[in-house]
Amino acid sequence: MAKIYDALTAFFKGHPYRNFLLTGALLMLIPLFHGLGILGSGTLGIWGYILIITVVALGLNILLGFSGLISLGTAGFVGAGALGTGVFISLGLPFELAALLSIFIAGLVGALIGFLSLKVEGLYLAIATLFVGEILRQIYTQVEIFGGQMLQIGAVELFGFWTLSSNPPNERRLLFVLIVFILIGMMVLMYHLTQSKTGRALLAMSRSESAAQAMGIVILKYRLVAFVTATVFAAVGGVMYALYFQNVPTTAWTLDLSLFIIAMVVVGGFKSIYGTLLGAFVIHGIPNLLLKEFFGDVSYIFSGVLIISVILYYPYGAIQVFYDAKKAIMTFMAKRKRGNA
Amino acid sequence: MKTPLLQLKNVTMAFGGLVAVNDLSFDVFENEIVGLIGPNGAGKTTVFNCITQFYKDYQGSISFGVPPVDLKTIPVTEVIDQGLVRTFQNIELIPDMSVLDNLLIGAHRQFKSHLLDELLRTKKARQEEARLTAKALDLLTLLKIDHLKDFYVKGQPYGILKKIEIARTLMSDPQLIILDEPAAGLNDQETDDLEALIGQIKKKYPLTILLIEHDMGFVMKLCDRVCAINFGKFLAMDTPSKIQKNPLVQEAYLGKED
Repeated sequence: MAKIYDALTAFFKGHPYRNFLLTGALLMLIPLFHGLGILGSGTLGIWGYILIITVVALGLNILLGFSGLISLGTAGFVGAGALGTGVFISLGLPFELAALLSIFIAGLVGALIGFLSLKVEGLYLAIATLFVGEILRQIYTQVEIFGGQMLQIGAVELFGFWTLSSNPPNERRLLFVLIVFILIGMMVLMYHLTQSKTGRALLAMSRSESAAQAMGIVILKYRLVAFVTATVFAAVGGVMYALYFQNVPTTAWTLDLSLFIIAMVVVGGFKSIYGTLLGAFVIHGIPNLLLKEFFGDVSYIFSGVLIISVILYYPYGAIQVFYDAKKAIMTFMAKRKRGNA
Repeated sequence: MKTPLLQLKNVTMAFGGLVAVNDLSFDVFENEIVGLIGPNGAGKTTVFNCITQFYKDYQGSISFGVPPVDLKTIPVTEVIDQGLVRTFQNIELIPDMSVLDNLLIGAHRQFKSHLLDELLRTKKARQEEARLTAKALDLLTLLKIDHLKDFYVKGQPYGILKKIEIARTLMSDPQLIILDEPAAGLNDQETDDLEALIGQIKKKYPLTILLIEHDMGFVMKLCDRVCAINFGKFLAMDTPSKIQKNPLVQEAYLGKED
């Protein structure tokens, strides 16, 4: 038993990419179980949403966890990715180009907020970003090109020859697999970014601005990097939404959603990649997948209580649960070893 | 005569009506250890903030390097490129980051790879990271704290924090390091260690050091020359033993005899 545990930890400590591979493989079980009829279509959809919103929350974690900056306009950028892709497709562009264009535009707006963040700090920045999100939401619901209530995209043609629609179950599963690939790719990108010069500079900037400046870190540059990365991640999440659901509501990109994404980062754990995935699962998955079955309409009371307890007992994020569990296993095995000897 | 590495000429810095530094001039030559002393509130840290360009609206001139560069023309984040780097009075390390990563922040300017290199972790980015990590490990070994490299800075004892901050300055291959009260808050043992450490560093790197310190024993033993100021004004600059006997300095610290 102990040997297996040691071998396993050695394998996963050997290279961080192995963890990402394992996560990807585990997530692939979801469409597999759906194919076997164990999971329903609704469940598949909820899991798809969790993975998509995880990408968005990863971006926000760079902003909130590393750079110590806040944005209440995240939902607006998810909407930009999703609706932008839809609109550009309806204008006749291929999916890939439409996706890239909407991500690029979202990134530009992110850069603008980055400039803004040099002028306003803290609560004022929160209010400013709140209204950026609000402006975007108004645009989506008022401007005719977004289709009123719902923007229908329909089957998406990938690479010019591979058409996938979200209606037939087998194609829906393939779309899910694509979503998993994008998620893992974004996780790896975030891992690279945060374990490099830029990640360190972002952290230094938020923890001690004077030390950062003395070491040659230009605050403006890294504020821009932080906001652009966060909005690009959000827009990528939006593109994934357009790809997977292929029907994009115009009214869903509200402050509510932005706050829920912040909650995912806080509950899951600042600076933690897996914590963010866990946070998205706790905030969106637990109420929709588990509690709704038992408690129906009042399930949100339970999820609320759950989230408050996580914050109370795990202020550094729910991901700490795993570290505690690991510690418990270690002490248990150490005890057994002593017992045997 | 030798040209100074750092030269302050008639530097004056006022905050509203309060003149923190008043017409101060002094030189620091290459390879020296110079101490800047003065009673509390004498304006020592303000002098440091002017030199490192955290304060820009001083009068007078501060030049650095061979050939001399007017530091006022250099943005605060580019001072480090000139070979001039500082520590802070209230240790400014990144608490929730490993000791090793804190050192790598000191090498920020030496990373030449772009964001895209980092995102894709190209060969260039990997080599650069490995090279600078090795450099940081060398420094940690010199300071005998290499066993702490993967630990968070948060929770380390004060003496270790001071060492990490000095190590971080050395990551940028500086010509001059400016230490703001390196021995403050250390016990006698730690102060002796720090003294030995600075000696060791001096032996290994061609460094010039300018430091503020209240621990007179430390200053007297370590410094080649000492500059004393009071109320922002220059009092005297001389060898430690002569400074100790200087009546102006004695008056500033002990008060005037009636």
